Parts: sequence; structure tokens; C-alpha cells
Amino acid sequence: MIELVIEQVRELLKDKSQPVTGETALIGDSKILDSLGLVELCLRLEDEATDLGFEFDWTSDTAMSRNRSMFRTVSALAVEFESQQQAKS
Amino acid sequence: MILVTGASRGIGFGIANRFNSLGFDVVGLARTRIDVAFPTFQVDVTNDEEVRRVALNFKKAKTFPAVVINVAGIASMNLALMTPGTKARAVVDTNLLGTMYVCQAFAPLIARAGGGSIINFSSIAVALGLSGESVYAASKAGVETYTRVLARELAGMNIRANCIAPGPIDTELLRGVSDTQIGEIVKQQILPTRFTVDDICDVTEALIDKRLSSISGEVLHIGGV
Repeated sequence: MIELVIEQVRELLKDKSQPVTGETALIGDSKILDSLGLVELCLRLEDEATDLGFEFDWTSDTAMSRNRSMFRTVSALAVEFESQQQAKS
Repeated sequence: MILVTGASRGIGFGIANRFNSLGFDVVGLARTRIDVAFPTFQVDVTNDEEVRRVALNFKKAKTFPAVVINVAGIASMNLALMTPGTKARAVVDTNLLGTMYVCQAFAPLIARAGGGSIINFSSIAVALGLSGESVYAASKAGVETYTRVLARELAGMNIRANCIAPGPIDTELLRGVSDTQIGEIVKQQILPTRFTVDDICDVTEALIDKRLSSISGEVLHIGGV
């Protein structure tokens, strides 16, 4: 799943030479996407989830938390996406 | 497509009916089942899950509104110290949280439509701090602030968000308010005229016009304050 998220993040980057890994931050000072990019990423993951047969819920009480947010890193988002897929399958 | 909440009566019905008669594709959301000239879905905007479910159905049908107009609201005329907690909660649930739920569920769909406009309804009660409308005014003040922040957050997605704040308009919401009280409020407007649902429809129509694409995060006071 992490490859899927990395691919989607890469597609949203203006500067395609920027490295994207599991540790890449999606919120905070070193975030790689602006808020618009983050929403676009969520919309893309929504579409991916629909294709996979579930609904991806990207609302979260901890969305802006550096320690607990599903958006803190690419891999955290991938884990959340996969966990929602498993919960709803 | 234009989505209007509170479409069963009053200002919501007037706006939905106006756009429908102008040939726009209109969908109304209402708490009760209604028989009108435009399609409607029965939904209680205070129920977050219900709102999200309706939005999901729109998404599945690839029906993406370009305009969302949040009119659904309830009023409460009472003194601050005498308003029962249950009533206060109902007003905040419908006016503020209902608006938030609809914006949150449908803004991503507007983004999928390539951008558009959100119009939320406030009230002259906010600017005038009207006695007897503490809870109602507080809920609408929340709507104004929410809309301003929303406008900032959605600007990059080509979505504008504004508020319309009418004075006393002849709808069921004014039931129980005397003509004298209404006259006192109208006198405080810059244009001391009792405006109508049609006047609100005119402003709503103007707000979604591309010529007002530079306006976002604003509160438009009908009659001026």
C-alpha cells in the first residue's frame, strides 16, 4: 500500500525530483505538500478506495497531531488506508 | 448542479425554486418529504452520518455540485438566561453544526467539479446583537467565522465561501415576532426596508456569478448594517 501512496504523492509534486519515501512528512514544518495538495491526495485515495471496494474516511480528530496523525508521514497514511480497507472488507 | 439545504420552505425553498426556474440543475435537501418541482433528498443536517451518506451517493453517481447553499436553520426567540439547554443545543446543532457537516461532506465534491461556491446563511442578529436572540445569533456568528476560515482553506481548490446575512424576512422563522419588533430591527438597517425572499434570491444569484469570483470569506448583509 505504501507504494500506492508514494506514487500518488509523487504525481502531486510540482518538483518531481523531490524524493518521496515512507518517512516523508505530509504535515508539519517539513511537509512535502501544501494543504491543497493534501486534500487532493485524500481525494485520490478516496478514488483508489472506491476501486478497492471500500470508502476511505480521511476525517480524524488527530489530523494535525505530529505524533498521532495519519498524515504525519506517507507510511502512516498507508497504514491507515490499509487498516480501513481491512476493517471494511 | 446547485445543492440547497432547507429546501422545503422559506428562503431555502425560494432559492431552490428560483434556480430551478432559471434552468439550473437543482437538488434540495430537506428534513421532511416534500413535493416540489426539483428533486429532493430527505436528510437531517444535524446528523453527520446521514449527511455523509447523501454526499457519498452523489459521489457514487458522479454528481458533483458546483454550488452548495446552506439555508437549513431554526430560530429561537428567548432571553439568554431563560433558554432551555435542549433548545440551545437544537439551534446550534442545526444552524452551526449542520452547516459544518454539509460543507465538510460536499466541499470535496465541489473540488471534483473543478471548483465552485459555498453560500452559508447568517443573520442580521449577529451584527446587531439583537436582544432575545442570544443563542440564534451565537450560532450564526459561528457560521460566519467558520465560513471565513473555510474560504481561506478552500481558496486553493477554486472554491469560494461566503455568507448572506438577511434581516427579518417573512418566513416561518419569524413566527411569533411582532410587527413592532420587526419594524425596530428593520429601522437599524442602513436601508430601512423589509426585504423579501426574492431579494435574497437576487443576491444569491449574484454571488454565484463568475463576475463575483473575487469575493470570498465575506458576509453580505441584506439592507446593510
